[in-house]
Amino acid sequence: METKTTRGHIHPISSLIREANRTFFDMGFTLVEGPLLESEWYNFDALNVPKDHPSRDMQDTFFLETQINAEHSQIDADKNTPALLRTHTSPVQVRYMETQIKKGIKPPYRVIVPGKVFRNEATDMGHEAEFFQIEGLAVGEDVTLANLKGTLARFFHELFSASSKGGSSSGGKGGSAPGGGATSVEVRFRPSFFPFTEPSVEADMRVVGGHVPEKLRGKWMEMGGAGMVHPNVLENVGVDSGKYQGFAFGFGIDRLAMLKWGIDDIRLMHSADLRFVNQF
Amino acid sequence: MKVSQNWLQTFFTAPLPDVQALSDALTFHAFEIEGIEQVRHPMSNFVLDVKVTPNRGHDCLSHRGIAKEISAILNTPMKNDPLCASISLGPTYSDISLYIEDGNLCRRYVAGYICGVKVGPSPDWLRENLEAIGQRSINNIVDAANFVMFNLGQPLHAFDASKLASKSEQSTVNSQQFLIHVRNAKKGEKITTLDDKEYALSESMLVIADGNSGKAIGIAGVKGGKTAEVSEATTDIIIESANFDGVSVRKTAQALKLRTDASQRFEQGISPELAGYGMRAVTDLILKVAGGEIIGFVDEYPTPQTAQQISVSVSQANRILGTSLGEKDIADAFTRLGLPYKSREATPRGIFEVAVPFERLDLAIPEDLMEEIARIVGYDKIPSAELPPFSKKPEINPNFYAEERAREELIQKGYSEVFTSVFAEKGEREVLNKVGGEKPFLRANLTDGLEQALEKNVRNKDLLGLKEVKLFEIGTVWNSKKEEIVVGRIGEKEKATQTPLSRFKMDTSASGYENLPLSATERYRPFSKYPFIVRDIALWVPSGTESAQVLDVISAQASNLVVRSELFDTFSSGGGSALGGKKKTRISYAFRLVLQSFEKTLTDEEANLVMEKVYKKVKKRGWEPR
Repeated sequence: METKTTRGHIHPISSLIREANRTFFDMGFTLVEGPLLESEWYNFDALNVPKDHPSRDMQDTFFLETQINAEHSQIDADKNTPALLRTHTSPVQVRYMETQIKKGIKPPYRVIVPGKVFRNEATDMGHEAEFFQIEGLAVGEDVTLANLKGTLARFFHELFSASSKGGSSSGGKGGSAPGGGATSVEVRFRPSFFPFTEPSVEADMRVVGGHVPEKLRGKWMEMGGAGMVHPNVLENVGVDSGKYQGFAFGFGIDRLAMLKWGIDDIRLMHSADLRFVNQF
Repeated sequence: MKVSQNWLQTFFTAPLPDVQALSDALTFHAFEIEGIEQVRHPMSNFVLDVKVTPNRGHDCLSHRGIAKEISAILNTPMKNDPLCASISLGPTYSDISLYIEDGNLCRRYVAGYICGVKVGPSPDWLRENLEAIGQRSINNIVDAANFVMFNLGQPLHAFDASKLASKSEQSTVNSQQFLIHVRNAKKGEKITTLDDKEYALSESMLVIADGNSGKAIGIAGVKGGKTAEVSEATTDIIIESANFDGVSVRKTAQALKLRTDASQRFEQGISPELAGYGMRAVTDLILKVAGGEIIGFVDEYPTPQTAQQISVSVSQANRILGTSLGEKDIADAFTRLGLPYKSREATPRGIFEVAVPFERLDLAIPEDLMEEIARIVGYDKIPSAELPPFSKKPEINPNFYAEERAREELIQKGYSEVFTSVFAEKGEREVLNKVGGEKPFLRANLTDGLEQALEKNVRNKDLLGLKEVKLFEIGTVWNSKKEEIVVGRIGEKEKATQTPLSRFKMDTSASGYENLPLSATERYRPFSKYPFIVRDIALWVPSGTESAQVLDVISAQASNLVVRSELFDTFSSGGGSALGGKKKTRISYAFRLVLQSFEKTLTDEEANLVMEKVYKKVKKRGWEPR
């Protein structure tokens, strides 16, 4: 009957990254990327995670056979030798700032880093060995913890309470339009610890109002870690920590997607199963 | 760390609030609470599982540390802070000689000698306190050492002095009786620990050795040896309260796969000052619960910890936090936390010079103090402020632009996006420590994963209502010694292929990202994991009957088993020659029904039964199945 090709489906993670990028682009953030195979230097040392310290246990790491490049000095080799699968998107903070400084470009910086990260742990409905994170970094002379709260509030607001985006395009999913009513998003911080931020916080979000799925309504949800960039991290990349300061955050995109669409199993993300993907 | 409410209460005169309030206080101002457990016997108590962050392992893996936090958060004074007391370790006992091989690995070693103890069961209060936090009571000596560790955070160990070789046996005049060596293990050295397990030590590991016999009597900071175990017959004991290097203890515990409450505390790095407090507390407690007499102490502490001072100004704190706190707010936070600062008269206006308590090894820079201020004032007091407009224009990432372009092109052509695992059975790069050990390689291509994904999805074609399954993935591969992003695609009618992302070029003139559609889906709906069954039904209905109406009737009979339905054929026909043949009086609809249960695998019989019901009903309506 119809010869027109029907559109395929976008993976929810890609849709979410697209949406996040749109929101952050509007706020002046540049999207940057980095390698998945990282060196210990970028993944840990430069981020103020000491060697042989319990804080390295916070992230279970996949290690690779290392190839020492004899042409470089040992330190250079260590710095650039891929040795592990990155456990977070934070090494890209370091790589980005380092590159800017080398180019002679001083802060302010605003970047987001969406990308895949890895944790060497058993998988279940809430845990995957490979998943996606989005990192945010804003550095300037006057970027504050209050700005972090405001930025996250705007991001979560766009993601979770922006009004319905119109008709459903996916198979057999008649969108049941929830009742109207103003929605708002609140962000709250709890104390936490990350070696690369000080102060460090855990950010929670709550959506209130009518246009909210029942599972989310009024409940505080853990979104991820954040904080003010540790001065050691700034110094490690050559940014004057006496003059500049900034915030950073890192959230699981899979988790954001699970909350946004009510997805019950993180393993669906890498299932390559169209029973899942074609709902988006 | 398990924290008992009754135990915490011992630090306060005023009654603590209920456990939920304690839990909230810690959650929003200090640490996450991983669980609350109620203990009913022998007395009602609650035990909080406090997730002490790695920066506070120095002081908060102890009831005293948590009590201090509670005191600051709730603004309730502590009855007594044992670490604020002034202590003395006397008299000196000259018959123990200490020898520390490497002062970097053992910054302090205090030994205390007690004679005439009576080893036996612990008093109820001691046993109950330990049992509440999941510790087994052993005897009054061991329990006293454990209690002090969980109370103050200082690991301690008791040796049976009579089991150490003594020089007096050789009757050398004036020689010291006991020799305790802190040294690296010797090549091939072995030790049997208190739990009767034998460990082969390596030369990088630190041990406590009996200098007279030369034998190792403990793995430093990890576990004591069997040789000098305290037993019921023990009367004279040597107590160890030492400070071992965190990295060394961590490596040893990891290598021996022997993580203990002691090693866990040393790993974090603890203050050598604490060793003195630990020794004082444990000897006092032993005298109370096991009797005996303190003969004396030796304290090898060549380089005492230096006092730290950090300055932070009110404006600095406000500049980082984005707050408008006053001097008073900050002074209040420091006072509550027990962080002494110089009086305002002695310092320039608005500057706090804080003398860091010895146990707070986490406090080193002004930002550390800002965190202390923020969490005590409360993170809810941090305002929410959007960033000011950015002075620069954000750049467009050419890679991401290309990915988005590729994604949209393929979606337009009917491909759906999948992610497959980066782990594969073969490849160039191998992961060394994968949990489970399966698929340890990093994939060299996307095509293998896509082929598997296609096969899996083709089986579900009817369920998905697809004429052809077409998939794509944009992902990283490791090939020819480099990491590269490629675009892979596959379809039922096309082989899997992959092309470098660079094929999808970015418009160099682009001033922003293309405005591409987002998923419009509001909620995901879980799907059944059970197999499905397909049944077709075709029937004549009177002209003017909508297909939806027919489908409604069909679905109503199928007890929610119809997960998908599709009208795949429609045609009209005249009512036969008798009616003139021109006017179309009836329509044939053909539907494909996909039946599936959320609870089980449907059998053919069950599907047949459903269809029989459907046929019965449509006939009743006067419709005619074909």
